[in-house]
Amino acid sequence: MGYKAVIIGGSAGSFQVVTRILNSLPKNFPVPVLLCLHRLKHVRSGFVEALSLKSNIPVEEPYDKELLKPGKAYLAPANYHMYVELANRIALSTEDTVNHSRPSIDLSFITAANAYREKLVGIILSGANKDGAYGLKKVHDNGGIAIVQDPNECEVKTMTQSALQLTKVDFVYSTDQIISFLQKLSKSND
Amino acid sequence: MSTYSISSFESLIKKINSESEFLDTILYETAVPSTEMFRDPSLWRWLREVYFPDTVDRNTGRFKIWLPACVSGGELFSLTILLSELGLSDKVQITATYSSDKILEYIKKGTYDPKKLEVSEENYKRANGSRELADYYRTDKNNIIRDTSLIANVEFRKLNVNFDNVPQNIKLILFRNNLIYYNPTQQDKILQLLYGSLSVSGHLVLGIRERVSGVSTSREFEVVNEAESVYRKRMLN
Repeated sequence: MGYKAVIIGGSAGSFQVVTRILNSLPKNFPVPVLLCLHRLKHVRSGFVEALSLKSNIPVEEPYDKELLKPGKAYLAPANYHMYVELANRIALSTEDTVNHSRPSIDLSFITAANAYREKLVGIILSGANKDGAYGLKKVHDNGGIAIVQDPNECEVKTMTQSALQLTKVDFVYSTDQIISFLQKLSKSND
Repeated sequence: MSTYSISSFESLIKKINSESEFLDTILYETAVPSTEMFRDPSLWRWLREVYFPDTVDRNTGRFKIWLPACVSGGELFSLTILLSELGLSDKVQITATYSSDKILEYIKKGTYDPKKLEVSEENYKRANGSRELADYYRTDKNNIIRDTSLIANVEFRKLNVNFDNVPQNIKLILFRNNLIYYNPTQQDKILQLLYGSLSVSGHLVLGIRERVSGVSTSREFEVVNEAESVYRKRMLN
Protein backbone atom coordinates (compact mmCIF):
# COMPACT_ATOMS: atom_id res chain seq x y z
CA MET A 1 0.00 0.00 0.00
CA GLY A 2 2.94 2.20 -0.62
CA TYR A 3 4.28 2.72 2.88
CA LYS A 4 7.68 4.38 3.01
CA ALA A 5 8.92 3.67 6.52
CA VAL A 6 8.19 1.97 9.83
CA ILE A 7 9.20 3.71 13.05
CA ILE A 8 9.30 1.95 16.41
CA GLY A 9 9.70 3.60 19.82
CA GLY A 10 10.29 1.83 23.10
CA SER A 11 11.93 1.98 26.46
CA ALA A 12 12.01 -0.33 29.47
CA GLY A 13 10.77 -3.78 28.49
CA SER A 14 10.95 -3.20 24.75
CA PHE A 15 14.22 -4.91 23.94
CA GLN A 16 12.78 -8.43 23.68
CA VAL A 17 9.87 -7.18 21.59
CA VAL A 18 12.14 -5.35 19.14
CA THR A 19 14.36 -8.42 18.94
CA ARG A 20 11.36 -10.60 18.05
CA ILE A 21 10.15 -8.12 15.45
CA LEU A 22 13.56 -7.88 13.78
CA ASN A 23 13.83 -11.65 13.87
CA SER A 24 10.58 -12.07 11.99
CA LEU A 25 10.95 -9.48 9.24
CA PRO A 26 11.70 -10.81 5.77
CA LYS A 27 15.23 -10.14 4.56
CA ASN A 28 13.93 -7.98 1.73
CA PHE A 29 11.68 -5.83 3.93
CA PRO A 30 10.59 -3.13 1.49
CA VAL A 31 11.10 -0.01 3.64
CA PRO A 32 13.56 1.32 6.25
CA VAL A 33 12.82 0.58 9.91
CA LEU A 34 13.65 3.38 12.34
CA LEU A 35 14.26 2.40 15.95
CA CYS A 36 14.22 4.98 18.69
CA LEU A 37 14.82 3.16 21.95
CA HIS A 38 15.79 4.74 25.24
CA ARG A 39 19.30 3.78 26.21
CA LEU A 40 22.09 4.81 28.51
CA LYS A 41 23.82 8.00 27.42
CA HIS A 42 27.33 6.82 28.06
CA VAL A 43 27.12 3.27 26.73
CA ARG A 44 27.46 3.60 23.03
CA SER A 45 28.54 0.12 22.00
CA GLY A 46 26.85 -3.23 22.49
CA PHE A 47 23.23 -2.28 21.81
CA VAL A 48 23.33 -2.41 18.04
CA GLU A 49 25.36 -5.63 18.23
CA ALA A 50 22.80 -7.21 20.57
CA LEU A 51 19.93 -6.27 18.27
CA SER A 52 21.82 -7.54 15.23
CA LEU A 53 22.33 -11.01 16.65
CA LYS A 54 18.86 -12.28 15.78
CA SER A 55 17.80 -9.70 13.23
CA ASN A 56 16.96 -10.72 9.69
CA ILE A 57 17.86 -7.27 8.38
CA PRO A 58 21.04 -5.27 9.04
CA VAL A 59 20.82 -2.98 12.10
CA GLU A 60 22.97 0.14 12.07
CA GLU A 61 23.51 3.30 14.01
CA PRO A 62 23.38 5.93 11.30
CA TYR A 63 25.84 8.71 10.69
CA ASP A 64 24.55 12.23 10.31
CA LYS A 65 22.85 12.87 6.92
CA GLU A 66 22.92 9.18 6.02
CA LEU A 67 20.47 8.19 3.30
CA LEU A 68 17.79 5.76 4.48
CA LYS A 69 17.58 2.51 2.55
CA PRO A 70 14.88 -0.15 2.44
CA GLY A 71 15.53 -3.44 4.22
CA LYS A 72 17.67 -1.87 6.91
CA ALA A 73 17.03 -0.92 10.52
CA TYR A 74 18.42 2.34 11.89
CA LEU A 75 18.93 2.60 15.65
CA ALA A 76 19.13 6.08 17.19
CA PRO A 77 22.72 6.39 18.50
CA ALA A 78 23.40 6.94 22.20
CA ASN A 79 23.10 10.56 23.35
CA TYR A 80 21.85 11.89 20.00
CA HIS A 81 18.35 12.77 18.86
CA MET A 82 17.55 11.13 15.53
CA TYR A 83 15.48 13.14 13.04
CA VAL A 84 14.18 12.21 9.61
CA GLU A 85 14.66 14.93 6.99
CA LEU A 86 12.47 15.47 3.95
CA ALA A 87 15.04 14.07 1.54
CA ASN A 88 14.86 10.64 3.19
CA ARG A 89 17.97 11.35 5.20
CA ILE A 90 18.81 11.03 8.87
CA ALA A 91 19.85 14.13 10.77
CA LEU A 92 21.35 13.83 14.23
CA SER A 93 21.22 16.43 16.95
CA THR A 94 22.61 17.00 20.43
CA GLU A 95 19.88 19.42 21.47
CA ASP A 96 18.56 19.31 25.02
CA THR A 97 16.78 16.22 26.29
CA VAL A 98 13.03 15.92 25.62
CA ASN A 99 10.98 14.00 28.21
CA HIS A 100 14.32 13.45 29.98
CA SER A 101 15.45 11.52 26.94
CA ARG A 102 18.07 11.81 24.24
CA PRO A 103 17.27 10.15 21.89
CA SER A 104 13.68 11.30 22.30
CA ILE A 105 10.99 9.13 20.70
CA ASP A 106 8.72 12.16 20.26
CA LEU A 107 11.32 13.97 18.13
CA SER A 108 12.00 10.95 15.92
CA PHE A 109 8.27 10.30 15.42
CA ILE A 110 7.37 13.96 14.78
CA THR A 111 10.05 14.40 12.12
CA ALA A 112 9.25 11.05 10.50
CA ALA A 113 5.54 11.94 10.46
CA ASN A 114 6.41 15.21 8.79
CA ALA A 115 8.63 13.52 6.20
CA TYR A 116 6.44 10.52 5.34
CA ARG A 117 2.92 11.83 6.13
CA GLU A 118 0.34 9.06 5.51
CA LYS A 119 3.01 6.63 4.32
CA LEU A 120 4.35 5.95 7.79
CA VAL A 121 3.65 3.20 10.31
CA GLY A 122 4.39 4.22 13.90
CA ILE A 123 4.58 1.67 16.72
CA ILE A 124 4.94 2.40 20.45
CA LEU A 125 6.13 -0.43 22.68
CA SER A 126 6.64 -1.06 26.39
CA GLY A 127 8.25 1.77 28.34
CA ALA A 128 8.38 3.73 31.55
CA ASN A 129 7.62 7.33 30.58
CA LYS A 130 5.35 9.29 28.26
CA ASP A 131 7.93 9.93 25.53
CA GLY A 132 6.48 8.88 22.18
CA ALA A 133 2.84 9.65 22.99
CA TYR A 134 2.88 13.04 21.28
CA GLY A 135 4.97 11.68 18.42
CA LEU A 136 2.48 8.89 17.75
CA LYS A 137 -0.32 11.48 17.74
CA LYS A 138 1.57 13.32 14.98
CA VAL A 139 1.86 10.10 12.96
CA HIS A 140 -1.90 9.64 13.33
CA ASP A 141 -2.73 13.32 12.59
CA ASN A 142 -0.71 13.14 9.38
CA GLY A 143 -2.67 10.11 8.22
CA GLY A 144 -0.14 7.42 9.07
CA ILE A 145 -0.95 4.18 10.87
CA ALA A 146 -0.63 4.37 14.66
CA ILE A 147 -0.07 1.11 16.52
CA VAL A 148 0.42 0.56 20.24
CA GLN A 149 1.60 -2.64 21.88
CA ASP A 150 -1.16 -4.07 24.08
CA PRO A 151 -0.42 -2.62 27.56
CA ASN A 152 -1.50 -5.94 29.12
CA GLU A 153 1.46 -7.54 27.42
CA CYS A 154 3.97 -4.78 28.26
CA GLU A 155 6.56 -5.21 30.95
CA VAL A 156 6.05 -1.52 31.75
CA LYS A 157 2.73 0.02 30.68
CA THR A 158 3.30 3.78 31.10
CA MET A 159 4.45 4.53 27.58
CA THR A 160 1.71 2.63 25.78
CA GLN A 161 -0.99 3.93 28.13
CA SER A 162 0.19 7.53 27.61
CA ALA A 163 0.01 7.00 23.86
CA LEU A 164 -3.49 5.52 24.11
CA GLN A 165 -4.70 8.45 26.24
CA LEU A 166 -3.54 11.00 23.69
CA THR A 167 -4.53 9.34 20.42
CA LYS A 168 -7.29 7.23 19.00
CA VAL A 169 -4.85 4.72 17.58
CA ASP A 170 -5.53 2.40 14.66
CA PHE A 171 -4.52 -0.82 16.40
CA VAL A 172 -3.68 -2.15 19.84
CA TYR A 173 -1.66 -5.24 19.05
CA SER A 174 0.22 -8.02 20.81
CA THR A 175 3.77 -8.64 19.66
CA ASP A 176 2.54 -11.50 17.47
CA GLN A 177 -0.04 -9.27 15.83
CA ILE A 178 2.55 -6.52 15.24
CA ILE A 179 4.73 -9.11 13.56
CA SER A 180 1.99 -10.43 11.29
CA PHE A 181 0.96 -6.85 10.44
CA LEU A 182 4.51 -6.04 9.32
CA GLN A 183 4.77 -9.28 7.36
CA LYS A 184 1.53 -8.45 5.54
CA LEU A 185 2.75 -4.92 4.92
CA SER A 186 5.89 -6.36 3.40
CA LYS A 187 3.90 -8.42 0.91
CA SER A 188 1.42 -5.72 -0.01
CA ASN A 189 4.16 -3.13 -0.42
CA ASP A 190 5.97 -5.12 -3.11
CA MET B 1 10.10 35.00 18.02
CA SER B 2 7.38 36.06 20.45
CA THR B 3 10.08 37.01 22.99
CA TYR B 4 11.21 39.73 20.62
CA SER B 5 7.72 40.67 19.35
CA ILE B 6 8.44 39.49 15.83
CA SER B 7 5.40 38.42 13.88
CA SER B 8 6.74 37.12 10.61
CA PHE B 9 9.81 35.75 8.92
CA GLU B 10 10.06 38.95 6.86
CA SER B 11 10.15 41.16 9.94
CA LEU B 12 12.80 38.88 11.44
CA ILE B 13 15.04 39.38 8.40
CA LYS B 14 14.38 43.12 8.46
CA LYS B 15 15.34 43.37 12.11
CA ILE B 16 18.53 41.37 11.54
CA ASN B 17 19.51 43.67 8.68
CA SER B 18 18.75 46.91 10.47
CA GLU B 19 20.08 46.14 13.96
CA SER B 20 23.61 44.79 13.99
CA GLU B 21 23.38 43.54 17.56
CA PHE B 22 20.22 41.60 16.90
CA LEU B 23 22.01 39.02 14.75
CA ASP B 24 24.26 38.30 17.71
CA THR B 25 21.17 37.83 19.87
CA ILE B 26 19.62 35.43 17.37
CA LEU B 27 22.82 33.39 17.19
CA TYR B 28 22.90 33.35 20.98
CA GLU B 29 19.30 32.21 21.25
CA THR B 30 19.58 29.49 18.62
CA ALA B 31 22.90 28.05 19.78
CA VAL B 32 22.76 24.38 20.80
CA PRO B 33 24.84 23.95 23.96
CA SER B 34 27.16 20.99 24.26
CA THR B 35 25.58 18.11 26.13
CA GLU B 36 27.86 17.25 29.02
CA MET B 37 31.50 17.73 29.90
CA PHE B 38 33.78 14.89 28.78
CA ARG B 39 31.09 13.57 26.42
CA ASP B 40 32.32 10.27 24.95
CA PRO B 41 34.84 9.49 27.72
CA SER B 42 36.72 7.10 25.44
CA LEU B 43 37.76 10.03 23.23
CA TRP B 44 39.06 11.91 26.27
CA ARG B 45 40.95 8.79 27.40
CA TRP B 46 42.51 8.55 23.97
CA LEU B 47 43.50 12.22 24.05
CA ARG B 48 44.93 11.79 27.56
CA GLU B 49 46.76 8.53 27.07
CA VAL B 50 47.71 8.47 23.40
CA TYR B 51 47.34 11.69 21.49
CA PHE B 52 48.72 14.40 23.78
CA PRO B 53 51.66 12.40 25.20
CA ASP B 54 52.67 11.37 21.68
CA THR B 55 52.16 14.73 20.05
CA VAL B 56 52.74 17.75 22.25
CA ASP B 57 56.17 16.97 23.69
CA ARG B 58 57.68 16.46 20.28
CA ASN B 59 56.40 19.79 19.15
CA THR B 60 58.91 22.59 19.34
CA GLY B 61 56.70 25.56 18.59
CA ARG B 62 53.54 26.49 20.42
CA PHE B 63 50.92 23.80 20.04
CA LYS B 64 47.84 25.48 18.69
CA ILE B 65 44.35 24.13 19.37
CA TRP B 66 41.15 25.57 17.92
CA LEU B 67 37.55 25.09 19.02
CA PRO B 68 35.58 26.60 16.12
CA ALA B 69 32.12 26.33 17.68
CA CYS B 70 32.62 26.96 21.36
CA VAL B 71 28.95 27.08 22.34
CA SER B 72 28.73 26.45 26.06
CA GLY B 73 32.28 25.75 27.18
CA GLY B 74 31.68 22.04 27.79
CA GLU B 75 34.45 21.01 25.42
CA LEU B 76 36.68 23.94 26.37
CA PHE B 77 36.63 23.25 30.10
CA SER B 78 37.06 19.51 29.54
CA LEU B 79 40.08 20.22 27.36
CA THR B 80 41.70 22.69 29.74
CA ILE B 81 41.15 20.34 32.70
CA LEU B 82 42.80 17.52 30.77
CA LEU B 83 45.77 19.68 29.71
CA SER B 84 46.19 20.95 33.24
CA GLU B 85 46.29 17.40 34.61
CA LEU B 86 48.85 16.44 31.98
CA GLY B 87 50.99 19.45 32.90
CA LEU B 88 50.68 20.79 29.36
CA SER B 89 48.76 24.02 29.97
CA ASP B 90 51.85 26.18 29.23
CA LYS B 91 52.67 24.42 26.00
CA VAL B 92 49.44 25.07 24.17
CA GLN B 93 47.61 28.05 22.76
CA ILE B 94 43.85 27.56 22.59
CA THR B 95 41.62 29.66 20.39
CA ALA B 96 37.88 29.45 21.06
CA THR B 97 35.54 30.96 18.50
CA TYR B 98 31.83 31.41 18.01
CA SER B 99 29.59 33.59 15.90
CA SER B 100 27.99 35.34 18.87
CA ASP B 101 29.78 37.65 21.33
CA LYS B 102 27.07 36.94 23.89
CA ILE B 103 27.95 33.24 23.83
CA LEU B 104 31.64 33.97 24.34
CA GLU B 105 30.88 36.31 27.24
CA TYR B 106 28.72 33.60 28.78
CA ILE B 107 31.50 31.04 28.56
CA LYS B 108 34.06 33.38 30.12
CA LYS B 109 31.91 33.59 33.25
CA GLY B 110 32.25 29.82 33.76
CA THR B 111 28.55 29.29 34.52
CA TYR B 112 27.37 25.73 34.09
CA ASP B 113 24.00 24.02 33.97
CA PRO B 114 23.58 22.01 37.22
CA LYS B 115 21.41 19.47 35.35
CA LYS B 116 24.44 18.35 33.39
CA LEU B 117 26.68 17.85 36.38
CA GLU B 118 25.84 14.27 37.27
CA VAL B 119 26.59 12.85 33.83
CA SER B 120 29.66 15.09 33.56
CA GLU B 121 31.02 13.68 36.84
CA GLU B 122 30.51 10.13 35.57
CA ASN B 123 32.11 11.00 32.25
CA TYR B 124 35.11 12.54 33.99
CA LYS B 125 35.70 9.34 35.98
CA ARG B 126 35.34 7.18 32.88
CA ALA B 127 37.78 9.46 31.07
CA ASN B 128 40.35 8.57 33.78
CA GLY B 129 40.43 12.07 35.23
CA SER B 130 43.15 12.17 37.89
CA ARG B 131 41.26 14.29 40.44
CA GLU B 132 37.59 15.01 41.16
CA LEU B 133 35.53 17.12 38.80
CA ALA B 134 34.33 19.01 41.90
CA ASP B 135 37.87 20.39 42.22
CA TYR B 136 37.13 22.49 39.14
CA TYR B 137 33.93 24.24 40.11
CA ARG B 138 32.21 25.90 43.02
CA THR B 139 28.53 26.01 43.89
CA ASP B 140 26.97 29.42 44.36
CA LYS B 141 23.35 29.09 45.49
CA ASN B 142 21.83 27.07 42.63
CA ASN B 143 24.55 27.90 40.15
CA ILE B 144 27.64 26.01 39.20
CA ILE B 145 30.63 28.24 38.47
CA ARG B 146 33.58 26.60 36.80
CA ASP B 147 37.14 27.60 37.68
CA THR B 148 37.82 30.36 35.15
CA SER B 149 41.58 30.29 35.82
CA LEU B 150 41.50 27.21 33.55
CA ILE B 151 40.59 29.41 30.59
CA ALA B 152 42.65 32.49 31.53
CA ASN B 153 45.00 32.02 28.58
CA VAL B 154 42.39 31.09 26.02
CA GLU B 155 41.97 33.47 23.12
CA PHE B 156 38.26 34.15 22.55
CA ARG B 157 37.35 35.45 19.16
CA LYS B 158 34.17 36.05 17.22
CA LEU B 159 34.01 34.08 14.00
CA ASN B 160 31.17 34.76 11.60
CA VAL B 161 28.86 32.00 10.42
CA ASN B 162 30.69 31.70 7.11
CA PHE B 163 33.93 30.86 8.91
CA ASP B 164 35.76 33.77 7.26
CA ASN B 165 39.26 34.40 8.50
CA VAL B 166 40.01 31.11 10.25
CA PRO B 167 43.13 30.78 12.44
CA GLN B 168 46.20 29.20 10.84
CA ASN B 169 48.77 26.49 11.69
CA ILE B 170 46.42 24.63 13.99
CA LYS B 171 47.59 21.25 15.30
CA LEU B 172 44.26 20.13 16.72
CA ILE B 173 40.71 21.15 15.91
CA LEU B 174 37.98 19.99 18.28
CA PHE B 175 34.72 20.37 16.35
CA ARG B 176 32.31 17.81 17.71
CA ASN B 177 28.60 17.70 16.98
CA ASN B 178 28.31 21.01 15.21
CA LEU B 179 28.64 19.88 11.62
CA ILE B 180 25.32 18.04 12.13
CA TYR B 181 23.50 21.39 11.98
CA TYR B 182 24.57 22.01 8.38
CA ASN B 183 23.45 20.43 5.13
CA PRO B 184 25.91 18.24 3.19
CA THR B 185 27.00 21.08 0.86
CA GLN B 186 27.71 23.41 3.75
CA GLN B 187 29.44 20.60 5.64
CA ASP B 188 31.82 20.10 2.75
CA LYS B 189 32.58 23.82 2.59
CA ILE B 190 33.31 24.02 6.31
CA LEU B 191 35.55 20.94 6.14
CA GLN B 192 37.54 22.66 3.38
CA LEU B 193 38.05 25.68 5.62
CA LEU B 194 39.11 23.49 8.53
CA TYR B 195 41.56 21.70 6.23
CA GLY B 196 43.08 25.06 5.33
CA SER B 197 43.41 25.97 8.98
CA LEU B 198 45.31 22.82 9.97
CA SER B 199 49.08 22.57 9.89
CA VAL B 200 50.85 19.61 8.25
CA SER B 201 49.45 16.40 9.79
CA GLY B 202 47.17 18.41 12.05
CA HIS B 203 44.23 16.52 13.59
CA LEU B 204 40.50 17.10 13.35
CA VAL B 205 38.08 15.56 15.86
CA LEU B 206 34.41 15.32 14.86
CA GLY B 207 31.45 13.94 16.82
CA ILE B 208 31.34 10.14 16.84
CA ARG B 209 28.38 10.03 14.41
CA GLU B 210 29.81 12.70 12.14
CA ARG B 211 32.28 11.92 9.44
CA VAL B 212 34.25 13.41 6.62
CA SER B 213 32.25 12.27 3.63
CA GLY B 214 32.33 14.97 0.97
CA VAL B 215 33.73 14.04 -2.42
CA SER B 216 36.76 16.32 -2.19
CA THR B 217 37.22 16.32 1.57
CA SER B 218 37.38 12.51 1.86
CA ARG B 219 40.63 12.70 -0.08
CA GLU B 220 42.01 15.40 2.15
CA PHE B 221 41.64 13.70 5.50
CA GLU B 222 42.77 10.26 6.62
CA VAL B 223 41.20 8.36 9.50
CA VAL B 224 43.34 8.11 12.63
CA ASN B 225 40.79 6.73 15.07
CA GLU B 226 37.56 5.59 13.49
CA ALA B 227 35.63 4.91 16.71
CA GLU B 228 36.28 8.44 17.95
CA SER B 229 36.05 10.18 14.54
CA VAL B 230 39.60 11.51 14.59
CA TYR B 231 41.11 12.55 11.26
CA ARG B 232 44.51 13.77 10.11
CA LYS B 233 45.19 16.28 7.37
CA ARG B 234 46.57 14.49 4.38
CA MET B 235 49.06 16.30 2.18
CA LEU B 236 47.94 16.32 -1.43
CA ASN B 237 50.45 16.16 -4.22
